[in-house]
Amino acid sequence: MSLLIDLSTDALDPGYAAAAARKRAAGVEPRPRWSLVGATIAAAVLLIVIAAVQTRASAPAAAKSRSALIAAVNRQTATVDQLERSLAALSAKQATLRDATLVSTSAGAALARRIAAEELALGTLPVIGPGLRVSVADASTSTGGRSRVLDRDLQDVVNALWTAGAEAIAVNGERLTSQSAIRQAGDAILVDFRPLVSPYVITAIGPAVDLETRFGASRTAARMRGFAQLYGLRFGYSRASRLSLPAAADVTLHFARPAPAPLSRGPS
Amino acid sequence: MIVLLAVAVGVSLGLVLQPTVPLDLQPYLPIAVVAALDALFGGVRAWLEHIFDDRVFVVSFVANVLVASLIVYVGDKLGVGGQLSTSIVVVLGIRIFSNAAAIRRRVFRA
Repeated sequence: MSLLIDLSTDALDPGYAAAAARKRAAGVEPRPRWSLVGATIAAAVLLIVIAAVQTRASAPAAAKSRSALIAAVNRQTATVDQLERSLAALSAKQATLRDATLVSTSAGAALARRIAAEELALGTLPVIGPGLRVSVADASTSTGGRSRVLDRDLQDVVNALWTAGAEAIAVNGERLTSQSAIRQAGDAILVDFRPLVSPYVITAIGPAVDLETRFGASRTAARMRGFAQLYGLRFGYSRASRLSLPAAADVTLHFARPAPAPLSRGPS
Repeated sequence: MIVLLAVAVGVSLGLVLQPTVPLDLQPYLPIAVVAALDALFGGVRAWLEHIFDDRVFVVSFVANVLVASLIVYVGDKLGVGGQLSTSIVVVLGIRIFSNAAAIRRRVFRA
């Protein structure tokens, strides 16, 4: 503690007292060199002003780069939206043309039916049907990490819905396919690299009554109810007689190719 | 008079020239500012107590700024730069406060 006591009692540089004592001993009072003192004061003030100027100059720069980044993100998201819309339109047109070509022969018609069935299962066609609508949302007074919906929660809900017999699922209008991923990136939850914000609405098409019963009895639903009670998350689900799910963007496989021997199934 | 003139010169130099501090020196700027404030307050207090000495003032200013920056520099090299910066701010902050209190007592007699 003596260091701290020294600090507050000897706040004034002891040099001043020593200099005063020297002057008293010598008995002379030399005039202070004002130019030196003035230069020092100017230097000190200059230092402080530089620090202030520096702080002022860097603060708006940081805010500016942040808002520029936000604008760029919004712009790119809009571009992606637009591209996806045009892709969907072109895919629809291509499908129409393809079907028109195929139905001219009976083998082609069978092929067209098979393609339609495959696309329905793959998720690249918009679908309608009865099903379940599950809504999950952050707690309203959410400040801490515990009162927010995590990617794990959405993954569990989606998996429980698949298990309960769902045939098609979309999260906030993002249709899930065999290649979809739900994951957290910072504060946002990405579904197929598209950031979604709370509240999350998961729509699943399937046998509505069975879906509701099985999902309601699942461990995920029980856990989500527990989260709702403990942390104030909002969780609910209801049957819907007619849900309409959008198509997913095209699923493109870059590496997987059909195996050469399609007849042998299972372990060989 | 000289003091006000010096302050005006310092402010106008800083505002007109708007010098940019090199990136390598930026960590030492806050420390140097606190050391400069400490020297200024010490000078004012000494002036009010009639023991002001030009040599002590100049040397204490230069030495404070240099030593404070040096300590932070050494701390940076040893990986404790942030902690040493904090310690310097605490020590000089206490000194500034004590000197300001002494000045206040002298000026307002309270």
